[in-house]
Amino acid sequence: MNELLIAENICYKVEQAGTFQIKKTEKEILKDVSFKLEKGKILGIAGESGSGKTTLAKIISGVVQYSSGKIIFNKSGEWEKIKTSPVQILFQNNGEILNPLRRINDIVEEAIVLRYGNKIDVQKEKEKIFGSLNFPGQLWERKGFELSGGEQQRAALARILAVKPELLILDEPFSAQDPESQLNLLNLFKNINEEFGIAMICIAHNLKILQKLCGNILIMYKGEIVEQGKSEKIFNTPEHPYTKFLLKAESYNLTYQELSFDAANAD
Amino acid sequence: MIKVAIKEITLNKKRTLLSNVDFELEKNSIFTILGLNGSGKSTLIKSLTGLLNPRLYEVNGSVNLDGKNIFSIDYEELLQLRKDKIKYVFQDAVNSFDHLKTLQYYFEKLVKDKNEIDALLEYFLLPKYTELQKLYPYEVSGGMAQRINFVLALLCHPQILILDEPTSGIDLAISNLFLLRLKEFAKEKDNSALLVTHDLVFAKKISNKIAFLSNGKLSRFYSNEEFFSAHDSKTLELFLNAHKQISL
Repeated sequence: MNELLIAENICYKVEQAGTFQIKKTEKEILKDVSFKLEKGKILGIAGESGSGKTTLAKIISGVVQYSSGKIIFNKSGEWEKIKTSPVQILFQNNGEILNPLRRINDIVEEAIVLRYGNKIDVQKEKEKIFGSLNFPGQLWERKGFELSGGEQQRAALARILAVKPELLILDEPFSAQDPESQLNLLNLFKNINEEFGIAMICIAHNLKILQKLCGNILIMYKGEIVEQGKSEKIFNTPEHPYTKFLLKAESYNLTYQELSFDAANAD
Repeated sequence: MIKVAIKEITLNKKRTLLSNVDFELEKNSIFTILGLNGSGKSTLIKSLTGLLNPRLYEVNGSVNLDGKNIFSIDYEELLQLRKDKIKYVFQDAVNSFDHLKTLQYYFEKLVKDKNEIDALLEYFLLPKYTELQKLYPYEVSGGMAQRINFVLALLCHPQILILDEPTSGIDLAISNLFLLRLKEFAKEKDNSALLVTHDLVFAKKISNKIAFLSNGKLSRFYSNEEFFSAHDSKTLELFLNAHKQISL
């Protein structure tokens, strides 16, 4: 089987307390979300805030329990034997996952030892990880708080790579970054994907950058997948009105009348 | 019209953050300063109306608004100027408000003509004033807070509007809305706007003139078309090149 992850009709509902906590209403955050991710591939998820992107990421990684549907995860190799999740997430505020008072070297070394015990040459593994991230030797001995934002992000990635996940989820890694940092990150993710063969899901609201990174893209709108397919296809010949809206919006070409996207009235 | 001639901004009298910032903001136009994260863009715009903490920062130079040097007018006058003439919309919109005061406080304090409020709120796709006034800043989302800041700034009818990263962390539709309203603002009376951002697509769409800030130095303001083919410095070329690679 070539699929790493198969999601079938995932629904996620939450109960909202109404007036005086008496009337409870159900709100659907995700509706019938189905998609597949092949081993070693990169999938992009695009959509605006409130479309359910981050919720979906949390469900895939097991942080949030979904209401109905099915997720099949074909663990391979060593992951088959262990219960822990083979999914890691790089969150937006990535600096916070590092202990600011510990040396990066110790953090990463500990993770490698916890994962492999003594079956592996720790020093060699460390060099491979830091090398793939362009994380220079003089920074290994620094503590979390002594690093800049970009360095912290790469240190967090090193900690993630130390456990060799099968799937890495990137939650809005490009937002609030300048173009040079975005380009560096883009190349970094491609490099990690090639070198370690880790599959990735990248969440972003910028379609242009997703197209550069991902083979396939899902477009989400109000908890539903409205379009999915090869990234060039989505980018060059979008079908759903919302995809067209997103593309027009990111080129800053919307008129005032087009600002509030309304699926019912579009096209 | 505002004329900026800042020789130097230093931190703790030791580190020079910016030097030789000279430009004149023309009326009815939008000027944009582009630069990498941490290049000093926010420091620059804060310095213009003396918003940098004088115990930490030292600013040498002058900023002339209609022939008066902002750095040498008395404090009362400076406050009045910040209230009426030069308005900011900061990046960290939620924290631009005091969390213990409802939004009504700001509207009461700043807005001269209450009849204008609802029309502008509607334009910015916000709830009616009767609902909005009761809310505390922590009850609105980041994107909403930024729109409210923008509305408040516009209601003061400033001559100059200064925006820090107007598109960062905001829905695309709202960024588009900002673009449309800013362009309109710059056409009215003798208005002008100054933006700092690293969103090149936005800058290209909105700006009359663009400058690049790097290593504490501000380039000259190029015309919009000129900027995107500028080869004057290595850092600017790298910046434009990175943009091309991720977005074309």
